[in-house]
Amino acid sequence: MELQFTKHSASESSVNLSLSLTFPSTSPQRATKQDWPPIKPRLIDTLKGRRRLLQRDYDTCLFVKVYMEGVPIGRKLDLSTFSGYESLLENLSHMFNTSIICGNHRDRKHHVLTYQDTDGDWMMVGDIPWEMFLETVRRLKITKPERC
Amino acid sequence: MNYFPDEVIEHVFDFVTSHKDRNSISLVCKSWFKIERYSRQNVFIGNCYAINPERLLRRFPCFKSLTLKGKPHFADFNLVPHGWGGFVQPWIEALARSRVGLEELRLKRMVVTDESLELLSRSFVNFKSLVLVSCEGFSTDGLASIASNCRHLQDLDLQENEIDDHRGQWLSCFPETYTSLVTLNFACLEGETNLVALERLVARSPNLRSLKLNRAVPLDALARLMACAPQIVDLGVGSYEDEQDSESCLKLQAAIRKCTSLRSLSGFLEAAPHCLSAFHPVCHNLTSLNLSYAAEIHGSHLIKLIEHCKKLQRLWILDSIGDKGLEVVASTCKELQELRVFPTDLQGGGNTAVTEDGLVAISAGCPKLHSILYFCQQMTNAALITVAKNCPNFIRFRLCILEPHKPDHVTSQPLDEGFGAIVQACKNLKRLSVSGLLTDQVFLYIGMYATELEMLSIAFAGDTDKGMLYVLNGCKKMRKLEIRDSPFGDAALLADVNKYETMRSLWMSSCEVTLGGCKRLARKAPWLNVEIINENDNNRMEENGYEGRQKVDKLYLYRTVVGTRVDAPPFVWIH
Repeated sequence: MELQFTKHSASESSVNLSLSLTFPSTSPQRATKQDWPPIKPRLIDTLKGRRRLLQRDYDTCLFVKVYMEGVPIGRKLDLSTFSGYESLLENLSHMFNTSIICGNHRDRKHHVLTYQDTDGDWMMVGDIPWEMFLETVRRLKITKPERC
Repeated sequence: MNYFPDEVIEHVFDFVTSHKDRNSISLVCKSWFKIERYSRQNVFIGNCYAINPERLLRRFPCFKSLTLKGKPHFADFNLVPHGWGGFVQPWIEALARSRVGLEELRLKRMVVTDESLELLSRSFVNFKSLVLVSCEGFSTDGLASIASNCRHLQDLDLQENEIDDHRGQWLSCFPETYTSLVTLNFACLEGETNLVALERLVARSPNLRSLKLNRAVPLDALARLMACAPQIVDLGVGSYEDEQDSESCLKLQAAIRKCTSLRSLSGFLEAAPHCLSAFHPVCHNLTSLNLSYAAEIHGSHLIKLIEHCKKLQRLWILDSIGDKGLEVVASTCKELQELRVFPTDLQGGGNTAVTEDGLVAISAGCPKLHSILYFCQQMTNAALITVAKNCPNFIRFRLCILEPHKPDHVTSQPLDEGFGAIVQACKNLKRLSVSGLLTDQVFLYIGMYATELEMLSIAFAGDTDKGMLYVLNGCKKMRKLEIRDSPFGDAALLADVNKYETMRSLWMSSCEVTLGGCKRLARKAPWLNVEIINENDNNRMEENGYEGRQKVDKLYLYRTVVGTRVDAPPFVWIH
C-alpha cells in the first residue's frame, strides 16, 4: 500500500516534504512491513481477522459454522455457494439428514434453522433478504422443533 | 563517615527499593557505595548494550532480580530489522558461571532462544520468576525446559511474545509434585493447548493468582478452570465463543460468582459478546479491564459491561466503543487512572469511531486520569486546550492521529497550541507522543514547559532543525527521544553532543541526518555507540564524497560504558 502525503508548512521556509508509507529511498527487495500506525503487529493481525469477518467481499468465500442441537460436532459451510434460502435449506437438510425449514412454516415435526447475527442475537432464518442475511450472519444453528 | 555499623545502614537501605533512589544512595560516599552494591537485590538495565554482564557482576555480586531491555521502542512497530540484536544468551551464560542466586529475570524486546531458557532453567536452583515482554526467538520447547527444571517457579508471564508453538506438551512438563504456581500467562501462544494438563496444573496450584489463557482454551474448559481457582485475581479469557452446550455457560456463571477476588480481566480473543453478561456479577470489583484484543465486543454488550465497572482504574479498549461509549466510561468510571483507546480501522478512511469529543468527555469525567494513549482520526486545538484544563495531572499523554500531518479539522491550523496547552498545564508530564500537523512551534513549547519530560515520540512533525534543538536544549530530564519522518538533520544532531550522555538513547529514522553527520558525531563522542541501520544492499553508502549528502535511513545512538558491541549484524554499522 502506498500513500502520498505532501506537507504544507506554515513557517517561512516552506518545506515541501513528500512522504510515503513505503519509503522511496529503499531498494525494491526490501519487504514493506507495516510500520504505521504505531500499534503492535499482534493487534494489527487481530483487527485484520475481524475485518475479514465484517467486510465481506462477495468474491471471496463465506464460511460459517453450523451446529445441530444435540450434536456436539459441527460443520462448516460456505454460504457464498448458495443462491438463496432454498438452496441453503436443501443442502443443510441433506448434510444433517433431517428436514429443516425456515421459521415461517413452523410445525412440531421439522427442525428450524436459526442464525446468530453480528449483535450476537439468535434470529429466525428467512426474515430478511438473502443479501442482507449474508452480511449479518455469524453462525447457524439447527434447533429442535419445540424450542421456537 | 558512618555513625552506625554497616549492618544497620544496610538494614535502612533495605527499605529503599526504587532504582533511582538506590542509585542516588550509592553516590553519597564510598562507604555507602560499597554497602549499597553488596545489598542491591534488583538490578535494572534499561539498555542491554550500555553495560556488559562482567561489569554487572563486578558491581553487584549479590542481586536476585535482573531486568534487561534490548531493542528500542520503535521495534514494536517493525522499524528495527530482524537480527539487529538484543541477545540474552551471553547474559545468562555469564550469570550461570557466577555465583549469583538469580531468582527473577524480566526481559523486554530481547532475543531469547530455547538454549537460553534451558540454561536458565538448569543454572539457578531458586529461580522463581520469568517475565518475557515482546521477546522472540524461542519456542514451546524452551518453555518445557522451564516447566521441567524450575522446582520453585512462581511466575511464568509471557506478554506479547513471538513464540514458535510446537504444539508440544510443555504444560505437562510441570511435575505432579509442583504446586507453587502464582502467575501463568500464555495468552500469546497461537497453538493448541493440552487442556487436561492445564486443568490438572491449575487444580494443584492453590497460590494461583493470575491466569491468562490463549485462544485455544474454550468456554467449557474456562468454566472448569475457574471452578478450580476461585481465588483468582487476574484472568485472561481465551476463546469465549458461544458453545452450543448451554450447560457450560451455566457452569461458567456459577464459577464466576465464586471469584470474589477477581480484579483484572483481559483476553476475549474470540468472543461471543452476549456471553459477557456472565461476568456482570464480578464487574463491580474490577480495577483493570483490557479488551484491546476483543475485536468482536462492541455496541450495547460492551456498554452494559462497562456500566457495571464502577471501580475501574485501568481500561484498554478499541475505538469501536465510540464517543458515546466513552461518555458512558466518563460517567461510570470515576476512579479511572489509565485509558488506552486503540484503532480498529487501520486504513484511516472514513470511520470516525472516536473523536476529540470522546477525549474531552473522559477528561471532564475522570478526575484521577493520569495516563492516556488515544488513537483517533481527528483532533482540534480547542479540545486539547479543554483537556489540559480538565486534567493537569497527566504523567503520560500519547495522542496518535492516524493520518500524518492532519491539522485541526475545524480551523485547519497546526496542533501546536493544543499540545502547548498540554505541556504547560501538566507539570508532571513524563511521557509525551505528538501527532497531527505540527510546526517547530510545538517543540518550542515542549522545550519551554515540559521540564519533567523523560520520553518523547515524534512522527511526521516539525519544519527545521530548530524544532529538535528546542527539545534537546529545553528538556533537561529527557531520557529517550524517538523521531521518525521529520525534517531534522545534522545541525540539530551535532549541536550538543554532551546532551546524549544524559540520555539513554536517541532514535531517528527517515529524517535528514546524513552519514557524514553521524560519523562526525561518533568522532566527537566516543562514549556513544552510533548505530546506522541500513537494510539496503547499497554498499555505496561508504564511498567518500557522498557522505555529506547520503541520508541515513535509521540512526540509533546510545550511551555506553563498554564500547562497540560485537554482535551487530552486517546491516548495522557502528561508529
